Amino acid sequence: MVISYRDALKVVGIIIVCCCAVFVCTLFLNYNLDLCGIEGELTTPAAVAMYYAQIDMGRVTVGVTGGCLVATSAIMLVAYIKNYIDSHGRELGILKAIGHSRISVAKHFVVFGLGTLVGCIIGYVASYIYLPAFYRTQNADGLFPDMPVTFHPELFIVLTLAPAAVFSAIAVLYAFMRLKTPVLDLMREKREYAVKMRQGKGQKRTFLKEVAVATLKGKKSHIFFVAFSAFCFSAMVQMAISMTEIASQTFSWMIGGIGLILAFTTIFMALSGVVRGNSKTIAMMHAFGYSDGECRRAVLGAYRPISYIGFVVGSVYQYALLKLIMTFVFAGVDNIPDYNFSWSALLITFAAFVLTYELIMYVYSLKLKSLSLKSLMLE
Amino acid sequence: MISVKGITKTYGSGEGAVEVLKGINLEVDDGSFVVILGASGSGKSTLLNIISCLERPDGGSVCYDGEDITKFTDSRLTAFRRTNIGFIFQQYYLLPNMTVEKNVRMGADLAHNDDYGKIIEAVGLGDKLEKYPAELSGGEQQRVAIARAIAKRPRVLFLDEPTGALDENTGRQVLDYIANIHKTQSLTTIMVTHNSNIARMADRVIMMNSGRIVQTYNVDCPQSAYEIGW
Repeated sequence: MVISYRDALKVVGIIIVCCCAVFVCTLFLNYNLDLCGIEGELTTPAAVAMYYAQIDMGRVTVGVTGGCLVATSAIMLVAYIKNYIDSHGRELGILKAIGHSRISVAKHFVVFGLGTLVGCIIGYVASYIYLPAFYRTQNADGLFPDMPVTFHPELFIVLTLAPAAVFSAIAVLYAFMRLKTPVLDLMREKREYAVKMRQGKGQKRTFLKEVAVATLKGKKSHIFFVAFSAFCFSAMVQMAISMTEIASQTFSWMIGGIGLILAFTTIFMALSGVVRGNSKTIAMMHAFGYSDGECRRAVLGAYRPISYIGFVVGSVYQYALLKLIMTFVFAGVDNIPDYNFSWSALLITFAAFVLTYELIMYVYSLKLKSLSLKSLMLE
Repeated sequence: MISVKGITKTYGSGEGAVEVLKGINLEVDDGSFVVILGASGSGKSTLLNIISCLERPDGGSVCYDGEDITKFTDSRLTAFRRTNIGFIFQQYYLLPNMTVEKNVRMGADLAHNDDYGKIIEAVGLGDKLEKYPAELSGGEQQRVAIARAIAKRPRVLFLDEPTGALDENTGRQVLDYIANIHKTQSLTTIMVTHNSNIARMADRVIMMNSGRIVQTYNVDCPQSAYEIGW
């Protein structure tokens, strides 16, 4: 069979995102479950107000961050399977041609879903190790009685086994749908070429602009991942900087760290896909005499505006989320500082983002440089 | 004039090393039609890749009008290919997500050639401008590749087994286009093939075997694509 268990580890990006999602969800859900157990022991109004604020904050964080990450993992998984079927069409077509049924081929895609199990377990274990420190941070003011970390088996099942089962089912079902393509089309690796591009009458784009437009419109998942990576970078890093003023430093490091991991994972996944998907075009452009700069601008440059849009949306999102939490969730809690939009955090994050983004683009431009027609001929 | 002197090329290293070219010398006059003929593994495609600046040799020189291109930096070599070289390959290498018109524009834009529409008409694809490569037959795809190469207005046209994937009728048609372009534009044309019948269309034939040139001869009366055997 063309898919082996080792392929499960190739979905590194999805494993990392799942790991982050489960890490965050385990922290807040385990804490919330244990916190609910001491509700009757709270006597002071300040403790009760803080109790409700933390319960609500846990719900919001799990709902917004966890939900967002789970949705991203699902989109990444579907995009990965689509790319896998596109690039292994010949082998899959041969399997169908010699008599394997669609479901018998599709069920092997379960390994990609199982890859998420690895990420979920790593996330759960890492979170469990961090939980005692998290409990201390959450109760820094000493409003609650001492609360030991309790293992909740139902949480383990919901955050590790259940997502892996759901993702495996998504993988098999999506592969089953994609493998509906006729055998010959699979073997010829026939793709949906006809990307209709709106163009004004008499208006003609240069070839390089055509490449840029075709690159953007060819794989919409890449647009999502580039925008999402900028969004993560912008939102989480700004949130981390702002949180040093309104929450603990540990908490801000955690948020910033997760944001950066997500940003790097998604942008590397997107750009690797962009370079892989355009390797033939780039190799041919090199052979014809297009310079490295022209290839880089046509293929990678098209994503720059998308990343800036992602950055702006991320800035607005983090401000709205923090304002919402501070205004409504911590409304009744004393000594909570007022939260305002931080222009300095925005500027620092933007400078760091531009530097990082251009550095990554430079690394990938070296990759583009190495694509020659000779390497394509040897495929 | 293209002058090739003492070209050597080895792939791999140690015991697995394969010496593909063992000291090749040849000269190609401007405007001539040269065929490099040889069996599979004789080194003809590697020689073509080296002369066309797609690959660097291990030793020797490739001079265009006395200028040794093997000494060029990568960026200078790219600029050289941009203004001087056109390619046509057996596998066409068209861009699958671009229409016929856009594929040809890939070459035309490099030469600021706005008249590429005439070239598409000339290869008989005027009515297929908006078609994608997957919607064309093999012969039509190869004609797009020809139009793309010509639209670039190259000084030298390199062809690697251009009819290798085509049936006899389509193959003759494609060769006829190539011969016409060579004649009308006095384009230096260097074609690699294993088919000795096709070699009869050339002015000069260079026969290769095991990385060496074993025979070179001029063809007194080159035949047309429809006169040669297949």
